[in-house]
Amino acid sequence: MTLLEHTKNAPQAWSGNLPVTSRYTYGLAGERFFRAMKDEGKIMGSYCPKCDHTYVPATVFCERCLGELSEWVDVGLVGELHTFTVLFVDCDGNPLEEPELVGLITFGDGGIIHRLEADPDELEIGMPMEAVLKPKAKRKGSILDIEGFRAVSK
Amino acid sequence: MGMRKVAVIGAGMTKFVRRAQETPKELSWEAARMALESCELTMDDIQAVCMGTAPDAFDGVHMKGEYLSDGAGAWRKPYLRAFVGGGTGVFTPIQGWYHVASGLFDVVLLVCEEKMSSFYPHAQAAFVTIFDHTTERPLKPNLLWIFAIEMNRYMTAYGINKKDIARVAVQHKQNAANHPCAMLGEADITVDDVLNSEVLAWPVQRLDVSPVSDGAVAIILAAEHVARRLTSKPVWIEGVGWNLDTAYWTNRDLAYPRYVEYAARQAYEMAGIQEPRKEIHIAEPYDPFDYKVLHHLEGLGLAERGKAVDLYLNGTAAPDGDMPVCPSGGLLGVGNPIAAAGLMKIAELFWQLRGEAGARQVPGSPKKGIAQAWGDLMQVGTVVIMGR
Ligand SMILES: [Zn+2]
Repeated sequence: MTLLEHTKNAPQAWSGNLPVTSRYTYGLAGERFFRAMKDEGKIMGSYCPKCDHTYVPATVFCERCLGELSEWVDVGLVGELHTFTVLFVDCDGNPLEEPELVGLITFGDGGIIHRLEADPDELEIGMPMEAVLKPKAKRKGSILDIEGFRAVSK
Repeated sequence: MGMRKVAVIGAGMTKFVRRAQETPKELSWEAARMALESCELTMDDIQAVCMGTAPDAFDGVHMKGEYLSDGAGAWRKPYLRAFVGGGTGVFTPIQGWYHVASGLFDVVLLVCEEKMSSFYPHAQAAFVTIFDHTTERPLKPNLLWIFAIEMNRYMTAYGINKKDIARVAVQHKQNAANHPCAMLGEADITVDDVLNSEVLAWPVQRLDVSPVSDGAVAIILAAEHVARRLTSKPVWIEGVGWNLDTAYWTNRDLAYPRYVEYAARQAYEMAGIQEPRKEIHIAEPYDPFDYKVLHHLEGLGLAERGKAVDLYLNGTAAPDGDMPVCPSGGLLGVGNPIAAAGLMKIAELFWQLRGEAGARQVPGSPKKGIAQAWGDLMQVGTVVIMGR
């Protein structure tokens, strides 16, 4: 039975949707985090001296002590591959034409979920991986300014 | 701590199915009705109602607690909907417990419902909007990402293979073959069936995952003086606990559910349990994915870290083992209408501890059981300990 297979004797149905459109702000931290990414090509974290904890992406507050975080740190573009998956279906359950790679790259005490530009067979948990940024002129201040992560070239 | 004793005195459950004809409120009503009949009460006896149901997107009705209220029996009664994502089904009895333990009410009806088949084409897409709108949603994430990367991390951290993890899915689906409400009970399923099923997001395959389902479960709680009058076999809620970890999945230990440990510690302390592995006779940990059972058994302190799979390999977790795990068949076997699936675990402990679990009854007259669910942004643990 595949994800999308429905039984033949399923009850009658009609269709409707919940139309919701949103306009989000970046927030206090996001404004600064994405400006640094767009203008300077940097991934920023924020450090809580009280909890000795570095948030990546940067936040303006520490969720552990609720202190305000003013120490921002450039964590570099190279993080560690913490875990990954190879996707064979999309979120509607349809098979993907080409499998996609998604990984968690850790920086500081946090990390970034993103696409991996790699051959699944060459991936090893714990290996260093580097953010591939779009050229500056094409960056818009979005997580998609990072095209993906690839193995650090030796 | 000045709290009254609270018992479960009745339970009802609809079949878990892929696509129910009933509307969500009709499912709620069916379960509520069965729970009332099981202990010969009427709505006149019910003083308050607790409703548990997961994201509104599933049933396709915003503020669905209100939408479901009539089916749950809320008319002209104090009514409150609890929602902690997948943890809801074991949180709702905690909410019901403090309604009664506090002395506010003597008899409370709890209903948990989910109709996931309304979401089209597949309920998984209902989760797209749970991710951070700035840092994650532009990547078009889907829910399987979370489970797949967590499972990979768990396997890597402890060197566990997929073949052994598949034993969990096999055991639960076999157990479910004896459950009259189950949608995926399979007495003859094998490890190879699991390993040969479609790969969704490696290492997660089709049979590692519980199905999208429709269904409802209801139970009735009563204060001690009422419970003793109504039944000779009350099953007590002896401990409750719940705990939340960081909502940033990038900042959590993906190999060990610390939030489950904290929830369990709270519940064990309240129940006076010092050696869970000796004192707990039946466990119903949350099992939407096979590896999650192992994760949760470790968080509950019922296995060493990275060693829960041994309970399946050496037979401890089997229905006739020393500590049966998910004798109901769990979400992997009975089905996973989110909140209803969690409350199903409470109903299962109720039936097992009373010796009323029919073909699923575990031997040895079990006295204590633990149920646990997990959810929110994959970082809440909810735990209930029951005993007789
Ligand atoms: Zn802090």
